[in-house]
Amino acid sequence: MNAERLAARLVAATVWLALSTAAHAQWWLNVPDKTPRKADGEPDLMAPAPHLPDGTADLRGIWYQDSNRFTRDIAADIGADAVPYQPWAKTLADERATGAHSREDPDANCLPQGVPKIPAVPAPWKIVQTPELIVVVYEAFTLWRQIFMDGRRLADNVNPTWLGYSTGRWDGDTLVVDSRGFNGKIWLDQLGKPTTDKLHVIERYRRTDYGHMTLEATIDDPGAYTKPWTVMETYHLEPETELLEFICNENNQDLEHLPSSAD
Amino acid sequence: MLKTKRLAVTLGTLVAVVALPVSAHHSFPAQYDADKPVTLTGAVTKVEWMNPHILFAIDVKDEKTGDVTNWTLEMGSPNSLLRLGWNRDSMRVGDIVTVEGFLARDGSHLANARSVTLTSTGKKMFAGSSQGSER
Repeated sequence: MNAERLAARLVAATVWLALSTAAHAQWWLNVPDKTPRKADGEPDLMAPAPHLPDGTADLRGIWYQDSNRFTRDIAADIGADAVPYQPWAKTLADERATGAHSREDPDANCLPQGVPKIPAVPAPWKIVQTPELIVVVYEAFTLWRQIFMDGRRLADNVNPTWLGYSTGRWDGDTLVVDSRGFNGKIWLDQLGKPTTDKLHVIERYRRTDYGHMTLEATIDDPGAYTKPWTVMETYHLEPETELLEFICNENNQDLEHLPSSAD
Repeated sequence: MLKTKRLAVTLGTLVAVVALPVSAHHSFPAQYDADKPVTLTGAVTKVEWMNPHILFAIDVKDEKTGDVTNWTLEMGSPNSLLRLGWNRDSMRVGDIVTVEGFLARDGSHLANARSVTLTSTGKKMFAGSSQGSER
């Protein structure tokens, strides 16, 4: 190898290293950089939360869980005693929490995580925002939700689904999403807190600064809980990545190693 | 060029390992025992760079008996490994690797990989394991 080629390789490796450090190796797309930056070049995630020209809060971006704990236990912060279970739901939740039914977890079967679990799982999601429609694209299992902002109302007798039907409105800078029409199969977390088809979820998304979002989720399911209950989760912006396809059922080998009540 | 790229991938991984996505679509403690760490060394016999978890296999030789056992190792998803700086060529059939991980609860020759060290370079790569800090 001559010196020139060696130098070229070193430069290439250094550039690659710099890119991978700064941008987590985003080789699949060049991400246009509109992110505010600090003097040292790092993204300024504490910069003010942006707004659109008409003054509406701008929630656009790729968001990611701050912690895995809500995937595991949606009540991680409020505590198990704060979950107002109906007796049957408490019995089922306790039994599932032993892990003995892990093979029946929809997520383990590559079925949709449901609402409000889906933003909390370890995969990023993107908010696409227009005045009359907000779309959330979830990398998790390549799923999506539409949040209608055009004033339409949900029909009375919808076909039950995993991700439900969502309408939204603005409460100041907070996006309030109202979702119904669920199928009753959703586990709220890996521990297995149950839901029924009476589930109604209210999510309140607020971008607190450029790089941070809070989600206050109220679970209103009169089929499983005695009253509505609320959890608060936090998310952060991933300014230098892009969503990727994630087809879970490609090669799911885990089920045979997970416990089931059928064993 | 390839070796330089692979070295760069490894170096990039070491630098970029902070606060990166883990992947788990199932309960970690239901499948693996965090109290049973294991270290395995052997030649890679298979790499399945697929969702929801990358799986690879290595032949592990028992130094006392000479018996060879084929172990399966589970890592994160391809996307989480891509974001950690891996690509599907980072580890190939025939590479000698040392894996640190946790044994499956069901007693099968399966473990969840936390890190993979390539013997040829000595560089440790993190596996985007489904064992996040809180599961």
